[in-house]
Amino acid sequence: MSQVTEVVKLRRKVLAEIARMTFAGELINNVEEILNTVVTEDGPRYRCCIHKERAVLQSRIKLALSQPASITLKSAAQNAYEGQAADMPMIHVMSEACDQCPIDKFIVTNACRNCLAHHCINSCPKKAIMVVQNRAYIDKNKCVECGLCKKSCPYSAIIEVNRPCESACDIKAITAGSDRRALINYEKCVQCGGCKTACPFGAITDRSVIVQLIQALKADKKVYAIVAPAFVGQFGAKVQPNQVISALKKLGFYDVYEASYGADIVTVEETREYIESVPEKRSFMTTSCCPAFVDMIDKHLPEMTSAISSTVSPMIATGKVIKELDSDIVTVFIGPCIAKKAEAAKYSGVIDLVLTFEELACIMVGAGINIAAVEETEYKTHASSTGNNFARAGGVVQAVIKHAEKLDGNVVIKPHRAEGLSNCKVSLLQLKAGKIDANFFEGMACAGGCVGGPGVLINSKVTGKLIENYAATSECKTASENKDAMDILNKGGHWHVK
Amino acid sequence: MTLVSIEICMGSACYLLGAQDLLEAIESLAPEKKAKIDLRGATCLKACGNGPNIKVDGVLLSNVTPKELLEIIHDKING
Repeated sequence: MSQVTEVVKLRRKVLAEIARMTFAGELINNVEEILNTVVTEDGPRYRCCIHKERAVLQSRIKLALSQPASITLKSAAQNAYEGQAADMPMIHVMSEACDQCPIDKFIVTNACRNCLAHHCINSCPKKAIMVVQNRAYIDKNKCVECGLCKKSCPYSAIIEVNRPCESACDIKAITAGSDRRALINYEKCVQCGGCKTACPFGAITDRSVIVQLIQALKADKKVYAIVAPAFVGQFGAKVQPNQVISALKKLGFYDVYEASYGADIVTVEETREYIESVPEKRSFMTTSCCPAFVDMIDKHLPEMTSAISSTVSPMIATGKVIKELDSDIVTVFIGPCIAKKAEAAKYSGVIDLVLTFEELACIMVGAGINIAAVEETEYKTHASSTGNNFARAGGVVQAVIKHAEKLDGNVVIKPHRAEGLSNCKVSLLQLKAGKIDANFFEGMACAGGCVGGPGVLINSKVTGKLIENYAATSECKTASENKDAMDILNKGGHWHVK
Repeated sequence: MTLVSIEICMGSACYLLGAQDLLEAIESLAPEKKAKIDLRGATCLKACGNGPNIKVDGVLLSNVTPKELLEIIHDKING
């Protein structure tokens, strides 16, 4: 299946064009031009007319600039140019783009034979089904969408239609508003980005700070990049990690850190925390690297917040290390994740900007840098193998277990893990009820772990293998062998959430 | 029989617009069809912005979708 759909192409073209204009210093004057260059008179046309296409594009551009819908494009560009980003959630529904998908959940299809048994009518607790024109008919005023009719039909003639955004949201934070447009309930939303990937109309998107970053790069500041361990293979299966690092420096980054470096610090701290608290103080402990998972517990299972490890995430740990070096610097996390954007906002002053791999690739294209053509150099990862494997589901558990084994052969960690917020939620409830025999739980919001995030550029099956190979090249195998990171840890510092 | 020469641009701009999907489309072909293709990667075909770009028997084609590519291959192989 093709991954780069027309929706994805459109989004990337807009981001790359904004980046190009920002580098050229012409964004404020020419931002409106994007409406004509990306959507042209002669198509291709995805929506009813060119006017709607451009209305959607306007919203898309404003979100790409992290500006509210209420201001003009020109002032949006001006604000972004000055480095401002509006204080608003990361994920948004662009109401013009939402197709207001039908919400008639159960539909009788042509396969209905108007049989004699009428299991559908008999199974309906609300008597909402009757036969009209030789076929079953569901009275929408009576139907409560229980689904019993669908289950009862021997021909499978009744089908269930779900809105893609709703099905993608494991925590039921997106619903149809009164005008049938998708509506995000931010009290429940953990900004995982599942709905963005799922919407076939491209109506949901995250806000971006690409212009703010380019401006920081242009303004002679020391800008540090922190790349998530999932970066391996993202920019093409043949593109080497060292080419990505060189390309980042070519773009103007002062230095590049791998978040797996922070992951080594996290591994040691989290293991220590586990040994100190389980089982005496709590029956089990969960990981804390995935911000959507942590937010899910905070918002949906508040009684379990005490089980979350207080250790900060690898992103925050790496950010803290860099911020110790110098005060007047900018830290930029580049990863596969949208929830990291929200996490960074919680810890102001540690991570200044967060971008996805997709956004970075658009900036590279806007800057005219072809990562595939960047000359190869010698480069070795600064983290351990286990730190690099944080990008894959199961990586954190593995890192902690291996470190614990080195510390003390008598420590017994009984791990359990889950991917997907719904699966995580179920597992946590079972853990609490004692139905799962485990005392250390790894939760990942995305299938496959970070490599399956909404900001990736390539199938997680490809990158999973590449990351494994890259991790194997590391000179140190476990966290404690990473001497550099251990020196920093031994100096003290705060690696825990207050 | 001469092979059908296909060059797929794997530069950043084309990659972003779906070059990987083109590569996967060719990888998924039946072995007897794949054997008739001389597949190569290119770093840049100098048509960025209009990607993904490919060259089939030396002819540059832009904005190619996996479906179109498979049709082109089918036509070429079946003469």
